[in-house]
Amino acid sequence: MLEIKNLHVAVGGQEILKGLTLSIADGEVHAIMGPNGSGKSTLSYVLAGREGYEITQGSVLYRGQDLTTMAPEERAAQGVFLAMQYPVEIPGVTTMTFLKTALNAQRRARGEKEVDAVGVLKLVREKAKALNVPEEMLKRALNVGFSGGEKKRLEILQAAVFQPSLAILDETDSGLDIDALKLVAQGVNALRAPDRAMLVITHYQRLLNYIVPDRVHVLSAGRIIKEGGKELALELEARGYAQIIKDAA
Amino acid sequence: MTSLAMLRADERAKAGEAFAARGLPHRRIEEWKYSDLRNTIGANDVSAAGSVAWSLPHTPQGLEVLDLSQDEIPGWARAHWGKLRGQGVMEDAAIAFSTGGLALRVPKGTAVREPFHMNLIAGGHGRVLIVLEEGASLTLVETHDASQALVNIEYEIALGANATLQHIRRMPNAADAVRVGTVSATLAKSACYRGHFADFGSKLSRLETNLTLDGAGAEAKLSGVAVLAGKTHADVTTHIKHAAGDTASTQLFKLVAGGQARGVYQGRITVAEGANKSDSRQTAKGLLLGERAEIDLKPELEIFADDVKCAHGAAIGDLDAESLFYLRSRGIPEREARDLLIHAFLADAIAEIEDEGLRAEIWRAVEAALVYAEAAP
Ligand SMILES: Nc1ncnc2c1ncn2[C@@H]1O[C@H](COP(=O)(O)OP(=O)(O)OP(=O)(O)O)[C@@H](O)[C@H]1O
Ligand SMILES: [Mg+2]
Repeated sequence: MLEIKNLHVAVGGQEILKGLTLSIADGEVHAIMGPNGSGKSTLSYVLAGREGYEITQGSVLYRGQDLTTMAPEERAAQGVFLAMQYPVEIPGVTTMTFLKTALNAQRRARGEKEVDAVGVLKLVREKAKALNVPEEMLKRALNVGFSGGEKKRLEILQAAVFQPSLAILDETDSGLDIDALKLVAQGVNALRAPDRAMLVITHYQRLLNYIVPDRVHVLSAGRIIKEGGKELALELEARGYAQIIKDAA
Repeated sequence: MTSLAMLRADERAKAGEAFAARGLPHRRIEEWKYSDLRNTIGANDVSAAGSVAWSLPHTPQGLEVLDLSQDEIPGWARAHWGKLRGQGVMEDAAIAFSTGGLALRVPKGTAVREPFHMNLIAGGHGRVLIVLEEGASLTLVETHDASQALVNIEYEIALGANATLQHIRRMPNAADAVRVGTVSATLAKSACYRGHFADFGSKLSRLETNLTLDGAGAEAKLSGVAVLAGKTHADVTTHIKHAAGDTASTQLFKLVAGGQARGVYQGRITVAEGANKSDSRQTAKGLLLGERAEIDLKPELEIFADDVKCAHGAAIGDLDAESLFYLRSRGIPEREARDLLIHAFLADAIAEIEDEGLRAEIWRAVEAALVYAEAAP
């Protein structure tokens, strides 16, 4: 699904990712953990195609295609989805209108038939219900005035509506209360399928109790310094990053 | 000559002298700082422009429409004629160089249901007198053909107690035209003037709105959008004077400029001494679509009363890069994402127009204008 090789990325002339290698096979869920500022969000933005991230070395293949040359909207249409650590507030655009526009833009780009207003409403309602997103939120301007947890839930609602092949979740668990965390994890697990993959960025092992990863990677200073199975998350929680980083050095 | 004709000749002669003495306004005159008329058109072209012509397809029931070039005019028109104007030199020009004019009246207690459409079909100078008597109401939809070289109109508006005038003014894009308008309105107790302006730019386009809230409960509600492309210009200048207490004014203007276009909003609010419990709100925002576009916003407050509420804000920016990325990362193509954000930017100003059909017309014009504003040069 995703193959990142020796990726070097600079932001504003400063190298943030320094030779990152990571591959995720179809059907797998991988977790990335790492200290603040290690480059986790940078990686997620690079995968989603945000401007201002200069790839100085290395490659990113998504389903065998070079992802780096594709526009963000093209990536989305091809099934890449990033649940952002800090979802953006967009005044004047209602959430429902946004969902409809985005879904149909993706479908159009893939040569699929657009879904009419009634169809979108039905789909969104069904998914919203499962995630406990109140109908009223869908009528409000996108993310405007939403609480931290509401924003995160809305990101997962989008994943549920768009059904991406590769979902990257950047700290979707932070800001969620315990019940919301379970709901969101259920939503994410519902997306698991043999032809899909997920990259879950988190600081907390707790999320990984619900979304059980196939692999865990530890990112530090722009490099993967340690990898392992789901038990690595427990080790991190017990020993802290400093110790693990020291071991790896 | 009838005495009326003599009066008129005298008024025009005086205005002509004033115009000759003062000349065309230019950028060193504060109110014209961003709209240098002297640099745009010659004084001779102005004095030779003649009178405008309106197409008035339908007169709705309850409205009286009068051509003021005729020999006899009724008392109500005579009572107000020339008395409401301000001191602007372009008002002098309108009076000096136009013959006659158009007068509208809605008698006491009459609500005119259908909108009155005024479409300008020939350029030049024009005068419009609007008298809404106590409790009367009218919606005026003013549009202009795009082909006029010079248009200069002076509006004199008297709103009686509890009268409501809704004035919608839609100016199409006309890259070579020079368009100037001056609205002077006086509002009696609990009268309301709603001005909704859409300007799609010309070589120089400027509308100055001077409103005097003269009686308690009087209210001014102004909103407007400009969507500009190429080298066009649009300037909306307002001066709202809270002359009496318990008066309210709201202003909401949104300007979008692409290419090398220039959008201007200047808004002065004066709260006179003793005009306590006045409430004024003023918001103007500019959105720049290109590096060579320019927007100038100048809100001003002059307060001589102690107990007033004033809120004002002005901001200019580009399309937000983070918002754009967010939308694109959800599969919305760049062009469509930009459109969505521009629409969101303009929406609240257009939503001020109460009538759904009129709102839709403005939106259609906005869509068309955006295609050009988004194109590079
Ligand atoms: N636009 C930028 N300009 C300069 N430096 C940047 C920019 N964006 C990110 N950085 C830097 O890159 C480094 C990695 O940031 P990133 O957001 O990827 O960290 P993170 O691992 O997601 O951290 P956190 O756990 O706090 O979310 C940080 O040192 C950050 O300050
Ligand atoms: Mg981060």
